[in-house]
Amino acid sequence: MALFRRIVRHWADYLYIAPALGVMLLVIGYPVYFTLYLSLFNTPPNLSLDDKIFVGLDNYARVLGADSVREASVNTMVWTVFSTFFAFVLGFGAAIALNREFIGRGLLRGVLLVPYVISAVAASYIWRWLYHSDIGVIGAAAMALGLADHKLNFLDNTDTVMAALIVVNVWKEFPFAMIMMLAGLQTVPDALLRAAQVDGAGPWHRFWHITLPHLRNVSMVTVLLLLVTNLNSFTIPWIMTGGGPAGASEIWITQIYQLAFGRIRFGLASSYSVILFVVMMTIGVLYVRALTRGDARRAG
Amino acid sequence: MPPFSNDTARGLDRRGLLASAAGIALAGGLPTAALAQASKTGVDAATWTPDYINKIAGTEEFDTAAECARVVPLNYSGRLTYWYWGPNQASSEIEKTMDVAFWKAFAATYPNIKVTAQNLDYNQMLDKLRTAALGKSAPMVARLPILWGSEFAAKGQLMEFGPKDAGYGVEEFWPGAMKSVTWKGKTYGVPTNNETMALIWNADLFRQAGLDPESPPATWDDLVAYSKQIKDRTGKNGYGLVARVNAGNTPFRAMPQIWAYGGGALDEADAAPTYQKIGINSPGTKAALQAFYNMYVRDKSVPVSALTNTNTENEDPFIAGQLAMMIAHPSEYAIMLDRAQKATGEDRKIADTVVANMRYGLIPKGPQRRAVVFGGSNAHVFKPDLVEGGQDLMAVKAFIAFMTGPEWSIKMAWNNSNPGNVRAFRSKWMRERLDTIKFLNVTTSMLPNGIPFPVLPQSAEVMNIIVPNMLQNVLTQKLTVDAAADLAAKQLKDLLSDL
Repeated sequence: MALFRRIVRHWADYLYIAPALGVMLLVIGYPVYFTLYLSLFNTPPNLSLDDKIFVGLDNYARVLGADSVREASVNTMVWTVFSTFFAFVLGFGAAIALNREFIGRGLLRGVLLVPYVISAVAASYIWRWLYHSDIGVIGAAAMALGLADHKLNFLDNTDTVMAALIVVNVWKEFPFAMIMMLAGLQTVPDALLRAAQVDGAGPWHRFWHITLPHLRNVSMVTVLLLLVTNLNSFTIPWIMTGGGPAGASEIWITQIYQLAFGRIRFGLASSYSVILFVVMMTIGVLYVRALTRGDARRAG
Repeated sequence: MPPFSNDTARGLDRRGLLASAAGIALAGGLPTAALAQASKTGVDAATWTPDYINKIAGTEEFDTAAECARVVPLNYSGRLTYWYWGPNQASSEIEKTMDVAFWKAFAATYPNIKVTAQNLDYNQMLDKLRTAALGKSAPMVARLPILWGSEFAAKGQLMEFGPKDAGYGVEEFWPGAMKSVTWKGKTYGVPTNNETMALIWNADLFRQAGLDPESPPATWDDLVAYSKQIKDRTGKNGYGLVARVNAGNTPFRAMPQIWAYGGGALDEADAAPTYQKIGINSPGTKAALQAFYNMYVRDKSVPVSALTNTNTENEDPFIAGQLAMMIAHPSEYAIMLDRAQKATGEDRKIADTVVANMRYGLIPKGPQRRAVVFGGSNAHVFKPDLVEGGQDLMAVKAFIAFMTGPEWSIKMAWNNSNPGNVRAFRSKWMRERLDTIKFLNVTTSMLPNGIPFPVLPQSAEVMNIIVPNMLQNVLTQKLTVDAAADLAAKQLKDLLSDL
């Protein structure tokens, strides 16, 4: 009732946001609803979706009980945590470097942005050839420089494939972190830094006590966005290895794609997607809560 | 001189071919019914030898417009949407030229039918089509690889449509191909082209390795031994193994070896397959897996990148003289010729040497049989309610009649396949192909050894996921041969019981 009264009182405001709300409901709300609905059905490849069979929560039990899902979960955690960590650290480092005045700063900033603007598909193919186990540039260069006595096997080896893919992902993502952190660094009040310097604070103390606290919010957003992006990663692992060899680079999203479009199990893939959605929402909420803990007290 | 000229196939006498033809007739490739149909088409599948193919070529003239006009008037006005897997950057020039010529000729024959055609990437087409059909935005007609149609038919997404709807008799198409467009006794498509692959090798690398440059390995065991000898003596990779998951190239190269050793995914290689009996953990499959293991792990005589490669990635090392053998389409010679012509400097010299030393031979035999995948494509028609804007059935009939008639079924298959319509083997274009395409008689000769993939809606999953995963589990040593085969058998059992 209170909500209705509020809507009536602010009807013009709600009218303004109605088109955006409508679009959101259509392009986000409906797919989410349909995925939830489909997750309760078995959809074998010999039946059309109209003939799907209701199985309740059976699909969820099958996904959670599958060995391959457990393997993919470990891979996904490794992929997400390492990709996010290194992309953030590298991006932050680059941002600090680029925040100083030096000759060629603009050019360097442009060059460092190149990986971010290259299409992920093109980048994946390029890296696949760089890494190629038989005719790859990296392997050949390592041999030419005497760093290796045989061709290097990055992608066709279950022990090295994930690390090799993470390197590509970090290369592709760190410019995003760099731009975000660079924007954040430019909001740190210069006067505050100079005052601290006058008071005898060294570079480390200025960074730790002034710069870093100012970057807390932007860091939080950057890491959260990186986490979500990496949990949802598809292009790089799919194009470079297809989840192989022997499932060693299979992550949640590639597995969901394979289930839905390779094996035509839309019901099973939907339940997997719902589980992933819940996991991502939980991680997001916990992360934001952890970082904002104490904000209200400090504000009060 | 290459082992197979356009006149004679070494090691493949008339008697052998007749025996093979009779055997495959029982297996569904060339059923005995075909033998009785010779009078209607002028093509006798029972005497399928290189001599016979040569003899009948160029003995009949065809008038495509007149044949089409019997089905749909040439002044018919309508529209058509069409998806296909056509020439791409890796295709030979002749394929691209023929594709352009096809569209020009169709526009000239039916000037009032407006066509919207999409040429899709092979590895993306199936997913796109599934999604489009679900979203009721499928094309009116799609030309699909032989493996894919049954899934759409089983889901009830295809219209019943057969050769008769396009003005042709069922006897004009290979019986094995007709089997691939049949689901539960009803016909859901018209075969456009059919092919079998062959083994190609670099005679120069054979010579360097101390092997007879003009003799391909006769058996798969020989191939394993040749591959090792080539690696040991030259340092180059012997055989172009392909084991990427979710890539059609993998089963097309793995299954002939598995069938040859007496194995299979199901019972597709049997005389009367039921597609319900699991053969993936049979001794034959395990023997083939052991051979893969020996090449990749024990001998290290194949590309390390086999686990991420499709066959396209084998073409570069082959033309660079770094790979000695691979299973390839009839078009591979033209592709290599194109690549050589595009190379410059020192690379050109190497590529020219490779092309001059390129040989085609039959795929090796195994202890049980010589086998190859009976491949090709079919034209399918989607149901009106799944097509955006509805069906234009007359335009569909006109298009399929044009595409699957003798002229265009052979021109569109010029150097990478063979015509689906067997009457085309009597045409002047077949004569021209035999006169101009090197090794065509060898690849055509493999047709009697063709085994179709299981005609099941989950065939793509079996061949593109379960079989390659089994290979990868063995090649990465994640599982033993026995464990990998047993795991695949369990997956197949679950798959069949899920339906």
